[in-house]
Amino acid sequence: MHMVRLWAQYLPQMLKGVGITLELTGASLGVAIIFGFILAIARLSKIRLMEIIARWYIEIVRAIPVLVILFIAYYSLGQIGIKLSGMTAAIVSLGAFYATQFGEIFRGAILGVDRGQKEAAAALGMPGGLMMRKVILPQAFFSILPPATNQLSNLIKDTSLVFTIGVADLMFQAYAAASTTFLPLDMLTLAGIIYFVFYIIISKFLARWELNVQQRRS
Amino acid sequence: MSNNVVVRAENLSKRFGDQIVFEHVSLEVHKSEVVAIIGPSGAGKSTLIRCINVLHPFNEGTLQLLGHTLTGGSALPPKPVLNDIRTRVGMVFQTFNLFPHLTVLNNIILAPMEVKKISRKEAVERALKLLDMVGLGHKADMFPKRLSGGEQQRVAICRALAMEPEIMLFDEPTSMLDPELVGEVLAAIQRLAREGMTMILVTHEMMFAKEVADTVVIMADHTIVEKGSAQKVLETPQTERSRVFLRRVLNPGTTALDFEPMVGQGGDH
Repeated sequence: MHMVRLWAQYLPQMLKGVGITLELTGASLGVAIIFGFILAIARLSKIRLMEIIARWYIEIVRAIPVLVILFIAYYSLGQIGIKLSGMTAAIVSLGAFYATQFGEIFRGAILGVDRGQKEAAAALGMPGGLMMRKVILPQAFFSILPPATNQLSNLIKDTSLVFTIGVADLMFQAYAAASTTFLPLDMLTLAGIIYFVFYIIISKFLARWELNVQQRRS
Repeated sequence: MSNNVVVRAENLSKRFGDQIVFEHVSLEVHKSEVVAIIGPSGAGKSTLIRCINVLHPFNEGTLQLLGHTLTGGSALPPKPVLNDIRTRVGMVFQTFNLFPHLTVLNNIILAPMEVKKISRKEAVERALKLLDMVGLGHKADMFPKRLSGGEQQRVAICRALAMEPEIMLFDEPTSMLDPELVGEVLAAIQRLAREGMTMILVTHEMMFAKEVADTVVIMADHTIVEKGSAQKVLETPQTERSRVFLRRVLNPGTTALDFEPMVGQGGDH
């Protein structure tokens, strides 16, 4: 009972953090998807230089822990005169890292579309861009959803790293509440529960979407 | 090019790396002519018609079609030429290759609307007429997955025809079908032939080739070994290589015992 009363007392503060976490997740997801798509197209490009740049970007950035990227964006760039706010540094870092993940998912999905589909579109005289938009991507989308759901749940969890640079997200609020109450078990358990609820909502929603897409095509 | 020759291939050769797919292939196709290409697997038949639709470049020779002259090289011709040829040459594939995310109707109207910029209304009208022609008007709103192989292939034929092509290419259109579904697809092709469509057809259906084709071409060992009127080629073949091939396909049972491996047969292309 004691824990539940305490949770009720700190919930409003936690929910403030939830807002920041959601905002952060949405913005970094947007950056990761757009930038990831550009990386995928670059890696599939016939222009060799673009392919090389994209490949090396992916190889390097995905090998670095998100926390290191976050500290580079917030502290190291500041040292050379590029001062980013905590929120901006967080969105840039998460976006830059998850773009490598989404980029590879998109590339795999595009390559996974049956070669006959490309041939059929080409045989109808469709130029490359049209073929991509109307034939390849709608089919690739099918195989993007499951791995993308996976990466999205990783992204939500990784947003908790931003409390280390002082962004007042859910983890930050939980940590602050733990410090003032000297009850880290209670407060961090509550944060864990909230992250879990997020995950459940999002994964159920995406699973239903996936099912809808599948049913519509049969 | 004389005014009724629509395709003229001269000395075409095609290699994938060091592997020869076909070489020294020369072929003329006249307007409204139906040419059937037959021959063992790996002879280069499918690749040849893919080169005619410029899905693949060829290495040597010249190919004149629809007012364009293409010469051999490692690259495809410039995009405007490529797309002009592809919009005017229809292609039907062995594996149908319908777009699984689109309904039958949307499969057919996509290219006319997006490539030829025809209005939706007109494209739909034409698509429904084509579907009726092959007896599938009632399946317009279904997704390809719900259709049998024979139905999918008939839709694929409609999709190609919706672009109002001047030449139709068929790449083994019935070889993926259950035997009982072959007839409905062949009937659609035969109907096109009667309407005067110029066609090049790679097929394993000998009887059909004999009935529908004006000209039969036998490809074996990476080149054309015989070509002439359907009756002449199939009944009185002039080369030993053609005779061996025809004996095997026309009487598969009787040749099984004296089977000898043949020289020069490559892999499947």
